[in-house]
Amino acid sequence: MANGVVAIAERVRLGEVTAEQVTIEALGRIAAKNGALNAFLHVAHDEALEQARAVDARRSRGETLGPMAGVPVAVKDAICTRGIRSTAGSKILGSYIPPYDATVIERLRAADAILVGKTNMDEFAMGSSTENSAFGPTKNPWDTTRTPGGSSGGSAAAVAARLAPCALGSDTGGSIRQPASLTGTVGLKPTYGRVSRYGLIAFASSLDQIGPLATDVRGAARLLSVIAGHDARDSTSLDVPTADWEAACDRSVEGLRIGVPEEYFAEGLDPEVGASARAAIAALEREGCVVRSVTLPHTRYAVATYYVLATAEASSNLARFDGVRYGLRVDPRHELRAMYGATRDAGFGVEVKRRVLLGTFVLSAGYYDAYYLKAQKVRTLVRRDFEAAFRDVDVLCSPASPTPAFRLGEKVDDPLSMYLSDIYTLPASLAGLPAMSVPCTPTKSGLPVGLQIVARPLDEATMLSVAAACETANPPRMACASPP
Amino acid sequence: MPNLIDVHHVARLASLSLGDAEAARFEEELRKIVAYVAQLDELDTRDVPPTAHMQLDRLPVRDDDVKPGLSHEDALAQAPSVEGDGFAVPTFVAE
Repeated sequence: MANGVVAIAERVRLGEVTAEQVTIEALGRIAAKNGALNAFLHVAHDEALEQARAVDARRSRGETLGPMAGVPVAVKDAICTRGIRSTAGSKILGSYIPPYDATVIERLRAADAILVGKTNMDEFAMGSSTENSAFGPTKNPWDTTRTPGGSSGGSAAAVAARLAPCALGSDTGGSIRQPASLTGTVGLKPTYGRVSRYGLIAFASSLDQIGPLATDVRGAARLLSVIAGHDARDSTSLDVPTADWEAACDRSVEGLRIGVPEEYFAEGLDPEVGASARAAIAALEREGCVVRSVTLPHTRYAVATYYVLATAEASSNLARFDGVRYGLRVDPRHELRAMYGATRDAGFGVEVKRRVLLGTFVLSAGYYDAYYLKAQKVRTLVRRDFEAAFRDVDVLCSPASPTPAFRLGEKVDDPLSMYLSDIYTLPASLAGLPAMSVPCTPTKSGLPVGLQIVARPLDEATMLSVAAACETANPPRMACASPP
Repeated sequence: MPNLIDVHHVARLASLSLGDAEAARFEEELRKIVAYVAQLDELDTRDVPPTAHMQLDRLPVRDDDVKPGLSHEDALAQAPSVEGDGFAVPTFVAE
């Protein structure tokens, strides 16, 4: 899997390689490496080969192939795949087989992509390390004693180890960008509403957004082009034109104004990560970008705001898991209320319970105004910070995560410390803005570092131009050059 | 700002059965998280409108047409218990 998305699709279209050959190679790498990484929860071996043969048959009949022709895609297990188990990393959905495809899956199939399997994640996307999965943690391919970040850690690890050239993740507060940063992959959260959420198992509906992870910027752009666009089945899906995001990757960045938010280079930032981000910004300046300092004064309130709003929404969304229509049922006393309680107690892990309790609390009588309404108002202030900054600059650049990959077990017993690892990604989520992480210089010990680029609403194109320029200085690197 | 959170009350609202040890642990953790969240009180938000959702003003409304959905069979296929052509649940009595 030395090639990225664009090169593989091109070679399959030209007939230089068959989709089946590409798929067999990917399945072989997964078989060899997944035992050590636990990136995939389910490998769709037979379905993938069947799809690949169908793509090859269409080519041999002279049909025009789609933009993802023969490209293996790994899919986060929060995204529903018809006939393929989809657990969202939870015991409560441990044997759930969706009766329908998410819209993004329909679009991938129509583009001739090959779905090679479902990737591990923090349960219901609640976490920043993939340690909250009910099916064991995913290991970081750069150092298997460390986490790949989360919650889309399985997708990020799969791409970093080249088990697939690209993957789908979902990002509620940083769950694509932070694992991309920690694994040296490209991860992009689109503008809220850009990509349909139909078929995404919901965590926090005003924040959730599906997006691509890929080995390179162009691969992420190609995958975004395939999954973006209006969908009548998601009432928050925007009916706006998409752009030529691959062409944006070739556009000059000369004259673009980059804002560097000073709050993102403050206390808590690992010095090596800060230096790497500053070096990447300096390289962009040499490419002709104009760099200036900006301020986002409400940044320090983003974590508190997020953990009120996201948990409130989650407590409502997760009410559907009650043992009635799908998923686990535990029914010790043959009584309905007891069945709800026992099912949810047995089916949910510790972090999910913690967040459901917090969300229920902040919405409960007597506390709603003090917590939930207050947080919604601070969300407005966070959004206004960005609106003010974007009057003077075109994109914002910062580290994506305050630290490189942390060790397995390091933060898992300290919820607040884990929440603070999302401090640089949460604000853009609260504001619904497009944001991505692209690799910059690794640490001295070789751990990946990601530069976060945030753009105006719907301006993924400018963000991708800057990411591609950054990539020129830091070409894609593959983890697991030798078996872990 | 509550010093104590009645975690058993919140768990009942959330339909979660918690053991006593688990409840004690969550009570302590929630207290710490809520204390952290209290920093939002530093901000004067009297004249700030809440943001409930992004971009609602740009969202299109679709026509109110009936379209085919899941078949009855598909909708029941994942149910833990089915009786006749519906979801089976234990008997419940008024509390």
